[in-house]
Amino acid sequence: MASAAAEKGKGPADAEDTAAASAARLAREWTTWAMKNAKVVAHYGFIPFVILVGMNSEPKPRLAQLLSPV
Amino acid sequence: MAPPPYGAGLAGILPPKPDGEEKKEEKVDYLNLPCPLPFEEIQREALMSLKPELFEGLRFDFTKGLNQKFSLSHSVFMGSLEVPSQSTETIKVPTAHYEFGANFLDPKLMLVGRVMTDGRLNARVKCDLTDNLTLKINAQLTHEPHYSQGMFNFDYKGTDYRAQFQIGNNAFYGANYIQSVTPNLSMGTEIFWLGHQRKSGIGFASRYNTDKMVGTLQVASTGIIALSYVQKVSEKVSLASDFMYNQMSREVTSSFGYDYMLRQCRLRGKIDSNGVVAAFLEERLNMGVNFLLSAEIDHSKKNYKFGFGMTVGE
Repeated sequence: MASAAAEKGKGPADAEDTAAASAARLAREWTTWAMKNAKVVAHYGFIPFVILVGMNSEPKPRLAQLLSPV
Repeated sequence: MAPPPYGAGLAGILPPKPDGEEKKEEKVDYLNLPCPLPFEEIQREALMSLKPELFEGLRFDFTKGLNQKFSLSHSVFMGSLEVPSQSTETIKVPTAHYEFGANFLDPKLMLVGRVMTDGRLNARVKCDLTDNLTLKINAQLTHEPHYSQGMFNFDYKGTDYRAQFQIGNNAFYGANYIQSVTPNLSMGTEIFWLGHQRKSGIGFASRYNTDKMVGTLQVASTGIIALSYVQKVSEKVSLASDFMYNQMSREVTSSFGYDYMLRQCRLRGKIDSNGVVAAFLEERLNMGVNFLLSAEIDHSKKNYKFGFGMTVGE
C-alpha cells in the first residue's frame, strides 16, 4: 500500500544512484580491503624487511653475528 | 632601506662570542635567515630537560651493532605501567615484556622497528625522498582490531621555512608551517581535522632562542596555552620551566627542572605544581654501559615510582 508505493517510487531512483554509488562503494570496499591487508603485511613483514635491508648493507654482517648474543 | 642593525641592545648584555663570530653586530639579512626547527620540535630543549622517561621497575636494554648502520636491540621490562584513568586514583598494571628491535640508520633512510612478545609492533620510517622532502611514517600495530595507529608525515624544508602535512588513521589530517622571522625568532601555525569526530583545531606557536636561552609559546584552539623557558646556565647545567593552562578542564600546571650534563652522568630533576617531584639519573659506568635510576614521588596521590635499569650498547 503506502509502503509498496513508496518502494516503487524509490525503485527507478535507486537504480540510478546505485550506478554511481556502487562505484564509490566498491572503491571504498577495495581501499578498506587494501588497508587491512597492508596492515597485516606491515605487521608481519616490517621487522624482517629491516633485517633484510640491514644484512645487505655494507659492510655485510654475517648470519652468525645476527643470531649470537655477543 | 636596509634593516636596522639587530641586537644592538643584546650586545651590551651578552658576552661576545670568543670564536670571533660577531653575529650580534652584523646587519641581519632578512632574505637569508636560518631554517627553523620543525614545528613539533619547538619545545625540544624543554621536553628533554623536563620530561625524562620515568619508569617503575626494572629496565634492561641491550643494543648490538652489526655494522655502522644496522643494529639489533633486546629490551626487557618488569614493573608497573600506569594506566590513564579518569578518576583521581592511579591504576598500575604490573607488566613484564620483552621487546626485540631492529634499527637501520642511514643518512637518507631510517628504519626502526620494535616488536613485543604480545605482538605489538612499533615502526618508524624516515625517508628522504629528495633533498628537501622527507617522508616519515610512525605506526603502532596490534593484533587487536581497531587499536592500531599510523601516521604519515610529509615534510618540506625550504630555505627559511618548513611545511608539513600529516595523514593519520581515523581520518586525521593535519598541516603545519613554521617560518623564521628573525635569526632568533620563528613562528608557526598548525591546523588539524579529525574526520570521525568532525573536530578541527588551529594553533599558533612561536620560539625565541639565543645561544643561552630558549622561550616558546604555544596556543591552540583546543584551549591549551603552553609556555616554556630554558636557560643554559653553563655548558653543563640547564634550567627549564614550563607552564600549561588547559581551558577546558581549568587546569594549570607548572614545573621547574634542572638538567646537569656531566662527564660521567646526566641528572635531571623537576618539581611540579601538583607536588610531584621526579629525578632521573643516567650514570656511565663504562664505555657503552649506562646505569639508570628513576624516581617520581607524588604524596598527594600516594603514587611512588622507583625504577632502576641498565643500558648496554651505544
